[in-house]
Amino acid sequence: MSKNNPYRPIETQVLEVITETPTIKTVRLKPKEEILFRTGQFIELTVPGVGEAPFTPSSRPWIKNEMEVTVMSVGKVTEKIHQLKKGDTVGLRGPFGNGYPLDDFIGKEVLVVGGGCGFAPIRSLMYEIFEKSAQFKKLFFRGGCKTPKDFLYKKETSEWVKRKDINVVLTVDTLDQGDGEWKGKVGLVTTILDDIKMDVKSGIAIVCGPPIMMKFTTQKLIKMGFRDANIYLSMERNMSCGIGKCGHCRIGPYYVCKDGPVFQYSAVKSFPDVWD
Amino acid sequence: MKFITNNNLFNLFGILQKDYDIFIPVKRENNRFYTRYMPQMETEGDKEISIGEVRSFEPLKIFYTRARETVAEGFSTELPKSNPKPFCIVGAKACDLKGFMIQDFVFKEGDFQDPFYIDARENNLVISADCTCTLDTCFCLALDVKPYPEKSFDLNLSQVSNGFVVEAGSQKGQGLIDANPSLFSDPMETVVTERDDQRKKVTAEVKKNLKEHGIPNQDRFEGVIEKNYESEIWGDEAKTCVECGACNTICPTCHCFLLYDQMDEKRMERLRVWDSCMIKDFATVAAGVNPRPWLWMRLRNRFEKKFDFFPKQSGTYACTGCGRCITACPAKIDIRKVLQRLVKDVQKQPV
Repeated sequence: MSKNNPYRPIETQVLEVITETPTIKTVRLKPKEEILFRTGQFIELTVPGVGEAPFTPSSRPWIKNEMEVTVMSVGKVTEKIHQLKKGDTVGLRGPFGNGYPLDDFIGKEVLVVGGGCGFAPIRSLMYEIFEKSAQFKKLFFRGGCKTPKDFLYKKETSEWVKRKDINVVLTVDTLDQGDGEWKGKVGLVTTILDDIKMDVKSGIAIVCGPPIMMKFTTQKLIKMGFRDANIYLSMERNMSCGIGKCGHCRIGPYYVCKDGPVFQYSAVKSFPDVWD
Repeated sequence: MKFITNNNLFNLFGILQKDYDIFIPVKRENNRFYTRYMPQMETEGDKEISIGEVRSFEPLKIFYTRARETVAEGFSTELPKSNPKPFCIVGAKACDLKGFMIQDFVFKEGDFQDPFYIDARENNLVISADCTCTLDTCFCLALDVKPYPEKSFDLNLSQVSNGFVVEAGSQKGQGLIDANPSLFSDPMETVVTERDDQRKKVTAEVKKNLKEHGIPNQDRFEGVIEKNYESEIWGDEAKTCVECGACNTICPTCHCFLLYDQMDEKRMERLRVWDSCMIKDFATVAAGVNPRPWLWMRLRNRFEKKFDFFPKQSGTYACTGCGRCITACPAKIDIRKVLQRLVKDVQKQPV
């Protein structure tokens, strides 16, 4: 019998649980077998007896023996992930999917737009981009969240703002009482794209966030002159197997788990349910 | 080509039983159900074995991706052993063998393979059989499937007077003939003629079905989903659907599943469970967004998968013309009528 079982989770220890925002936690994990992923690929995280859910790691892809996933509590599995404690045992499968074709972006001007929980895959991507930042012509980052307290990775993003190799602007949709310390902009992420000085005809835009944010950001980018094929989106679909067998995540001729989760807008724009 | 008498066929089953669990169609009322073969079953009055005739009630996939199957136990690298003994399917029909084309594509191809499916496919024996009659719902010819197997079997049986014409379709099948020479004889010309006449007769019956129900041939399916994507057909046809998922469960090509975890005190188990794309939350994500909130969207999705996705991905329409979904549907949604409407509406559209 074939030895590889793609359904088997690898035993994994929880090293640390970090509270990022009231609804988002980052879990630092140590699998018993090394997992090497490309940034943008995803893994399936098992809570024993409860089930699995897919996440794109938010950590440095070149670290083989540890991994971080950032999880918003929205459902059965993610609620349980939020209850995990240091020392607990979970399972990991993967990596699955395509990831970002970073080599194709070398020598180009690159804009990364992140929204809300979409910062998770983006952080992993930024680690990778910063490692080879000299190889890009220009780098821009635009990020938005609902309010300052919803901002992920506050420490990292405040360091990004100071970097010389990238132009970073952060925004929040609204300010609540007690948010007086906020130094960024106020307004939707689509309102902080206009001042970007880049060659939109050849520039690459990478967008990751909630579907509604990706929809309006993509529309804005097209209006700005970006080419459909140069806009890279992270699609979210219900996934079970992660390996293109179970049928849940189909969109048109693709399985998001196998052919994505990163898609060029040109590849998916004709599907009416692309933003659902 | 060989000939085997009825008695010798059961003698062959007796030999095969040492290595295989044998499943054979047994007739109850107007259906044929796969039943575990027991010695002397053929002589018991209450069990009517039906090797020829027509497709069984259940699709063949029940043996290859079972409705619930353990696919992982804890974190163990050992594969859970699901089939203690290899199995031998007797009397599978050509439409079900076409189902293998889709199931093989799903579970055997790509970067990842399903070791349980592959194990079942490699360690089983398929002794298929010609159809000797048809059901009103049979429309295999429209999908380029003949009512007699031409490939994907180890041995094929064509029922004739006093026995069967036997053909080997694999080395394993040929091996069975070679290992048991006393059970087989060379067929007389008359029985071969009888087989050919039978095949012609059943083919004509299916053709009659196609004509009576106005079922279009698959060479007219290309582009019908795309062109009818916004058609009222979907809403019309979904009106009576009760979302039971029977069409998915009974379909020889439907393959969708869910990984389901369960645990007692210490043991964690992962099951691969059949799932149904007609059920509301099939595609709903954790946060609650559903790309197909309406029943008609899910019906369209089912047809899109079968008649657009699979031909593009695997080169085969994911329908075998077995007609099981027509019989199973409590809402009388009829795949033949849907296909007829899809093809017709395409013709109506201006070029």
